[in-house]
Amino acid sequence: MPQQVGNGSAAWRRLLRPGTGGDTSGASWLVLLLFLGPALLVFGAMTAYPMVRTICDSFFTIDDPDKPIWVGLANYVTLAGDGTFRRAVVNTLIWSVAAPVLDVGVGLLLALCLYAKVPFTRFLRVAWFTPVLLSYVVVAIVWLWLYNYDWGIVNVLFRAIGLGGLASAWLGNPHLALGSLIFIDVWKWAGFNMVVCLAAIHSLPSEVLEAAELDNCGWGGKLRFVIVPMLRPTLLNLYILAFVAKMKVFDLVWIMTQGGPLWSTETVSTYVYKRAFAWNTFDLGYPAAIASVWFGVVIVTVLLLNRLLRSRERVEF
Amino acid sequence: MLSRAFSRGGLMAILVAYTAFAGFPFLWVGTMSLRTTTEIAYNHYGWPSPAHWAKFRTAWIDSAFNTYFANSAAVVIGSVAVITLVGSAAAHCLARYRFPGNRLIYFILFSSIILPPQIVLIAVYQTLVEYNLYDTLWGLGLVYVSLQLPLTIYLLEGFFARIPQDLFDAAKVDGYGDFEIFFRLVLPVGMPAIATTVILNFILLWNEFLFAVVLIADDDLRTLPVGIQRFMGDHFQDIGMIATGVMISVLPVVVVYAFFSEKLIQGMTAGAVK
Repeated sequence: MPQQVGNGSAAWRRLLRPGTGGDTSGASWLVLLLFLGPALLVFGAMTAYPMVRTICDSFFTIDDPDKPIWVGLANYVTLAGDGTFRRAVVNTLIWSVAAPVLDVGVGLLLALCLYAKVPFTRFLRVAWFTPVLLSYVVVAIVWLWLYNYDWGIVNVLFRAIGLGGLASAWLGNPHLALGSLIFIDVWKWAGFNMVVCLAAIHSLPSEVLEAAELDNCGWGGKLRFVIVPMLRPTLLNLYILAFVAKMKVFDLVWIMTQGGPLWSTETVSTYVYKRAFAWNTFDLGYPAAIASVWFGVVIVTVLLLNRLLRSRERVEF
Repeated sequence: MLSRAFSRGGLMAILVAYTAFAGFPFLWVGTMSLRTTTEIAYNHYGWPSPAHWAKFRTAWIDSAFNTYFANSAAVVIGSVAVITLVGSAAAHCLARYRFPGNRLIYFILFSSIILPPQIVLIAVYQTLVEYNLYDTLWGLGLVYVSLQLPLTIYLLEGFFARIPQDLFDAAKVDGYGDFEIFFRLVLPVGMPAIATTVILNFILLWNEFLFAVVLIADDDLRTLPVGIQRFMGDHFQDIGMIATGVMISVLPVVVVYAFFSEKLIQGMTAGAVK
């Protein structure tokens, strides 16, 4: 169980405690070093050091990796006026706020369906979970085809039921592209949330649900007054988990639209990648500045979410 | 009674519809992987008859999917092995030993789970170039170890901390040293949790794309996700062969899922449930 953080000095004191384990006697520093050293080495070399270095990079122009040129805050000043970056931030925020609501909402409804004692529950659970296991590359390729204007199943179905007017170029229309991508995201992750919600529902005390049944509480009432409030910690956990994951979204966008059309699906991740590795001028300083700003935004958002959503709950993510 | 039957029917309809929605795309690619592109162009939703199994051979040998597959297998199996050993040693240390800074290290590792990968991406690229590890599977493997290590330590620490202290005391009485305790007590007892993290890391790294596309340039060193993406870029029209490549890349996951679906679901959701 993670410790509670964010409660001021009490939390810090807990961090400085020497640990929870019971084994104190005879643990030499050599033993500790052998156990913990490799992990700390990898963490230091491949996470902590690159993090600091990226932040340092953001104060340079690095068009020649051997000769970085100090530019101070110039990258950040440029960034403040960068319309594409602003677009990327807005898109990423839309994605991070909307997709988790849908992921968790659909997941919860699916879990309730399975909880209603239908046949083949085990099979359905396994089948619905399948999209979670597919890589984003595979998902992206398949959905590129499903969204195909001429023969994709989406448009085929619309035409078959006589709504041919709704058939669209789902990824080619700047007004529809972002929504189309978020739809795929929900398709991929609903099964994941369903499994977690189902486990949480099964662990609810059955007396409460039986009492609600005795009170002649309908499904809607049970959902609203019993299940959702009791699942609140789980649902919040899932929401924050999804929120943080969506702030990093890259693969799906890069393979399907590369941020287009007209920047309508540009996310912060794809923009960093573009500026660093797929731009007509090579410079690692500017993308480092974008990454640093976004790093700050993610940290602040997580802290805010923790504070807003679970002031009375244990912090876990 | 009638309304009850009606709502029951509605529920079943939803179940069937969602199952089709979740499963259809994958099954559709499955049928296309056994049909030629000409057949697909004629009718995109036909049944594969006759089934062209030879396409798998073609993709495997002529389109270099054997190379991609071998690269993916080498990097993923190698890094998962290292993550498991290094991660469980660190988790055991944090769970069982009392020393100043223990909780601080735990907190730092645990917090790094939320980091957006871009914050390390650029500098990792620079660093690997400087140490001649750019465009090598060793470099990519090292990055993969660092990517999954914090989550692994977090999950294992939670499990190891719940192993009763009595077991450790008994082992001490039997004369076990620190390392015997780790290898002969913690690893066997912690096996269910370790298996969960192995599965989780395997799936996540098998599907990893961002670092693979940035850190590998040589076509012969590409892993499967990047290999398929590039193949798709070069042969955009050849839907049939792309579908075959997709099936090859998901095959290990499908096989594992067929036998260990419960363990796999447990592994994938482990981070969320805790």
